[in-house]
Amino acid sequence: MNISFDLNGTRADWEVAPGETLLQAFRAAGVFSVKLGCETGDCGSCTVLLDGQPVNSCVVVAARINGCRVTTLEGLLDDDLMIRLQTELVEHGAVQCGYCIPGMLISLYALMKQDPHIDEEAIRHALTGNLCRCTGYVKPVEAAKAVVAALEVSK
Amino acid sequence: MKVVGKNVTKIDAFKLARGEPVFTDDFTRRGMLYAKVLRSPHPHAKILNVDATGALKLDGVVDVIWHRDVKAIPYTRAGQSHPEPSPYDTLILSPKVRFIGDRVAVVVAESVAQATVALEHIVVEYEELPALTDMDEALTNSEILIHEEPDPQGISEAGRTNIAARIDKQVGDVDAALKKCDLVVTRDYHLPRVQASHIEPHISIAWVDEDDRLIVRTSTQVPFHLRRMLARILEIPEARIRVIKPRVGGGFGDKQELVVEDLVGVLALRTGRPVRLEFTREEELIAARYRHPQRITMTTGVMKDGTIVANRMYVLADTGAYGSHALTVQGNTGQKVLPMYPVANIHFQMECVYTNNPISGAFRGYGAPQGCFALECHIDEVARELGMDRLELRLKNHIKLGDTDPLSAKLGEGKEGLVRVVHSTGLDKAIELGCEAIGWGNKQEPSAPHLKRGLGMALAMQGSGIAGVDWGGATVKLNDDGSVNLSVGATDIGQGSDTVLAQMCAEELGIPYDKVIILSSDTDLTPFDVGAYASSTTYISGGAVVKAAAQVRGQLAGVLGAHWECDPDTIVFSDGVVTGPQDQSMTIGEVALFALYEAKIQPMATASHMSNDSPPPFAAQFAEVEVDTDTGQVHLLRFVSAVDCGTPIHPIMVEGQIEGAVAQGLGYALFEEVLLDRTGRVLNPNFLDYKIASSLDVPDMVTILVPTDEPTGPYGAKAAGEVPIDGPAPAIVNAICDAVGVRMYRIPATSERVWRGLKEETR
Amino acid sequence: MWNLQEYRFATNPAEAVALMRKGPGKGAYIAGGTDMLLEHPSCDFVVDINKAGIGDIARTAGGDLFIGAVATLQDIVDNSFVRGFAGGAVSSAASQCGNRPVRTTGTVGGNLCNALPSADMAPVLLALDATCYITDEDSQESLPLTDFFVGPRLTVLEDRLLVGVALPGECAGWRCASHKLTRTAEDISLVQVAVSLGVDEGRIKEARIALGAVAPVPMRAILAETMLIGQEITAITPDVLGDVAAIAAGECDPLDDHRASAEYRRDMVAVLTRRLVARILADDGDNREGGAA
Repeated sequence: MNISFDLNGTRADWEVAPGETLLQAFRAAGVFSVKLGCETGDCGSCTVLLDGQPVNSCVVVAARINGCRVTTLEGLLDDDLMIRLQTELVEHGAVQCGYCIPGMLISLYALMKQDPHIDEEAIRHALTGNLCRCTGYVKPVEAAKAVVAALEVSK
Repeated sequence: MKVVGKNVTKIDAFKLARGEPVFTDDFTRRGMLYAKVLRSPHPHAKILNVDATGALKLDGVVDVIWHRDVKAIPYTRAGQSHPEPSPYDTLILSPKVRFIGDRVAVVVAESVAQATVALEHIVVEYEELPALTDMDEALTNSEILIHEEPDPQGISEAGRTNIAARIDKQVGDVDAALKKCDLVVTRDYHLPRVQASHIEPHISIAWVDEDDRLIVRTSTQVPFHLRRMLARILEIPEARIRVIKPRVGGGFGDKQELVVEDLVGVLALRTGRPVRLEFTREEELIAARYRHPQRITMTTGVMKDGTIVANRMYVLADTGAYGSHALTVQGNTGQKVLPMYPVANIHFQMECVYTNNPISGAFRGYGAPQGCFALECHIDEVARELGMDRLELRLKNHIKLGDTDPLSAKLGEGKEGLVRVVHSTGLDKAIELGCEAIGWGNKQEPSAPHLKRGLGMALAMQGSGIAGVDWGGATVKLNDDGSVNLSVGATDIGQGSDTVLAQMCAEELGIPYDKVIILSSDTDLTPFDVGAYASSTTYISGGAVVKAAAQVRGQLAGVLGAHWECDPDTIVFSDGVVTGPQDQSMTIGEVALFALYEAKIQPMATASHMSNDSPPPFAAQFAEVEVDTDTGQVHLLRFVSAVDCGTPIHPIMVEGQIEGAVAQGLGYALFEEVLLDRTGRVLNPNFLDYKIASSLDVPDMVTILVPTDEPTGPYGAKAAGEVPIDGPAPAIVNAICDAVGVRMYRIPATSERVWRGLKEETR
Repeated sequence: MWNLQEYRFATNPAEAVALMRKGPGKGAYIAGGTDMLLEHPSCDFVVDINKAGIGDIARTAGGDLFIGAVATLQDIVDNSFVRGFAGGAVSSAASQCGNRPVRTTGTVGGNLCNALPSADMAPVLLALDATCYITDEDSQESLPLTDFFVGPRLTVLEDRLLVGVALPGECAGWRCASHKLTRTAEDISLVQVAVSLGVDEGRIKEARIALGAVAPVPMRAILAETMLIGQEITAITPDVLGDVAAIAAGECDPLDDHRASAEYRRDMVAVLTRRLVARILADDGDNREGGAA
């Protein structure tokens, strides 16, 4: 069946099977920042924004996103907030294997886009859906706090 | 030092942060097929027949193979140096299944969906056999044999028992020594099955190229071992195989293994098309590898004054249906752990049995987390019975600078080993700094009457590579702008070895870090390396990098010495500038241009490095917990790690290794366990029920680096990747005991287990 | 869902039911799909109800709170009506369902209709006297949530559609709190308890104790409730609390499974009941985000 939606600001027309998940459709279409980790909505390596809100694309059926606005990391590479997040993650040593990073960036982006005045507890709550096996979350959280601090200063 | 010891930007960090397509699956090749494995529903059975006619009729299904389609060449899937110290007890596809989840057949189709649907249309006739899933029973039952192969290779007691491996080594005389002790304490400790759970699953893609060579693109820790193994079992010359490792999304030992590469190889050769196989998370939790579950009996003999006189460790381990890493993991349980207290009388025994349970293998720490749990909990038990302070007992007895590891000669990793002497240790400093950071001796008041607080500690040591076995090569090639191509077999699986090795290369050549272009882990293009395991990369592969870079520096010095008419030894390379004894000076770029275009040489060198030493990194780790005495829930408040890894080549990357290891270790302590029913079926093969730490499950972590200078290591470095996973579980369990007086002999210390322990205490 | 043949869209509830009954083969309603995609159900078609007009959250003139079946869990966390109702207990419970991306997609209707014994939203809604609204092709029915669950993964719906739940205006001022006992911070419940008390001039006029994951269906501990109703707050001593908690524990019927034993679950019902009642009585009932006992 056909789905027509906004992918990163451009109209996408895809042919998908009725039961195909959004993750499967992304991987087949070469949107590679969206990753397969669990297919049960637990690890968040497939996190994307659906109408601006974070979702696990592995538990969203592609058929229902007709008419929606979907944003992946590929569509945010020129975004100031995203660049800040990426830079801080890199500089804090938060990127080890990197597999969870696109999902983590999407979650942090959505969180800070909504409200950049947040504390560590809010950051950790927002990240429970992004499992990382490499870092113990220490440096990712430090990096996120650094972005919050930088945004305060730049106001 | 200009580059080593600095927190340079990780060499691949930006592309990872941009989500660039750099992992194995971020790749398509025209005509690619997708494979799916049909897995056994029985723990032990003969496969009498596989009827795939129904499956083959379905849309998109191209082929189905089972054991009749593949030559039976026994091998081990363990990624180890040749000759592997693991039994050759595995076939690509076997006429017998030995665990629920074992390979039965493989479908290959035009899409994953079609391959998955096809699985349901394959009809298999089994003859079920009695199964053994209890390791004690497997030890004594010789009626049911899991490996009875007619031509066993390396299966230690094939056809007679279910023992996969055995060790019995003693120094001194433990029995005699125990008789003379003031106190003898014996306890049993129980370690569960846990799974590495790297977020990127196992995935391999193989195809035959235009030169009729088999190319395997795979998420692995051991590309060179894979090439060798595939050549043998696919019966094609190694020269016709190339293994490429892209970015890897975590391995932690679970990818120190041939997991799917043989299948994609077979199918690519058979179909003439590229073939991809990716594990689902369910397959990861059933058909990848686990940390070996063990029961450890510790016996320690002490004198009244706290001098430990004798230690005996008996390990019973379950390797599951196949024996990869059976000997070496369990060997490590003793070898890496017992030397922490280098007494004159040590007896280490282990028996590792086959069962019809899913397979155990390599997982970060490789036997040491199990042993360290037992030993460090046991030290607390001994202290308690002796009435001695837990810290004092450790300070009095732990291994010190200049001490010999008493087990090293008798118990090498897999064979008679080499004597190990401690040339560098920061353990005492680590203990001091760690105690200060956790507030040792100063328990804080809990926040409510039903809560109790406790502090616990554990000491750990590991190794740096496998002495006399691990080795790697490096090639350094200078380009005409002064940049270098550094080519290493060493395998970056996310831990950052590409970065660390580039740092060492830059430091040795006296050039900026950003002038190093690194290429790694391609069996055609890079020198050999055993791969990323045994904490070998910084120490061993780094040694090769330093040697090769030094040789290139020597070549350049030779060229300049002739040009400047001076002794090459007086030429200094620093910060991208090369200076001679009479203030002659050129930038490295100018030197390179001169060497290539004037001297007309290619400055280039390849070097290999091996070490007969495996200097231990040390860790002192501390936990503060708060236990809810009504629910048994353990809240980990703070965790401190003080680690001596020699010289930290990249300090925040070392911290990252420690922090990640602590997150894995606390999971081991508190909530990770792969649960099997009595038939060996996995009950929780998903992240809903196999819980790994999330951002809210990790405590406030303090990480302290305690630098020392290891004389045998490149720039004084030792390893860092594994030692910090050893201490969290015993430190946390010791803290629970400190809080509520209940000893958890079995982990994970789930809330229900703690609750039960508390109830039994109050009876 | 590899075998799915057809994905159908409904634009209103009656149409949804009609599409479901049309066949051929087996169908299922899908909203967020987060639970459904875990279970790989072998249905031939699904009926998407996301655009069927049943996602709104509203306060009626009478003060009732109506939550549409496809209101997402995150909608429920964020909605000001829900946050202002019974001290925000429903928002608080929703904030503990899964992780943030799951809450964006997962719906309260899906949570209830999937009818797991551990359904995260059931206890707090039971504790606030929720009524279910069910649509047939040409009629609508309401029934108390207490009658909605028939067994594990089984409700009274058959092929009818849940369009929403309503909480009565009288409960808006009740003191309410819930807590789920888990293995890690974000997890399915091992045990969940929700307690609400309607207090008037120092006397407990109404009491509800709802339990999750300790019986084939989410349930109310009726006997324990009756011990509280009519009592002066000052009469609820620790001993009385202990008795109430013990009775509640006796009313449940937990299983042994790989997550926890029945014995542990039963004991935890007592612990959580005791703590939640004590907490509600001690403070003025406002729920901290996360609602830890």
